[in-house]
Amino acid sequence: MSEGELGRKWDRCLADCAVKLGTGLGLGIVFSVVFFKRRTWPIVLGSGMGLGMAYSNCQQDFQVPYLLHGKCVKEQ
Amino acid sequence: MAPRIFPLVKVLTKVGVAGGAVYVAYDQGLLGSGEKGSEVLSKAKAAIPPAVDEWMKYFGWELPTPPKIEFSPCQAWNSGVQTTMSALSVAPSRAQEYTHRGWQYVKDLSK
Repeated sequence: MSEGELGRKWDRCLADCAVKLGTGLGLGIVFSVVFFKRRTWPIVLGSGMGLGMAYSNCQQDFQVPYLLHGKCVKEQ
Repeated sequence: MAPRIFPLVKVLTKVGVAGGAVYVAYDQGLLGSGEKGSEVLSKAKAAIPPAVDEWMKYFGWELPTPPKIEFSPCQAWNSGVQTTMSALSVAPSRAQEYTHRGWQYVKDLSK
């Protein structure tokens, strides 16, 4: 992976992190207000889920050139 | 009749609002891959200043212009790292040179 490509991947990763965190926070606020009587834990849960999704996407993005895919061939 | 229906309508409204929020988030690509997320962020960055200007005109307010910051954290960080690494790479030869000069100076003083 070249340095430019690595830099672009990091930029994409950070942008995605910001978007997912904001989305999780927003959805957490909506659920907290609508269903859970303005408690804090749905907001924290939503933000955490957003961060987790962003981390998973970043991991996939960085590992994609090096992932090996194999097929299991059954004996006949 | 009405007292029985009202709680049901309330629950359905809440489910509709929450479900609609989740659907909008999914439809806009906010819950998708990293590339879609960065596209959405760049679209939002491009859309916010005209939207803010329109709303300010609608309300008749004037926002002060934000100061332009010439400082770029990426460039500063990279130049900092490069300066540190180049200083570390020339440190042994520089140390040798200064030691030699110091030794010569002491020798000249003792003559």
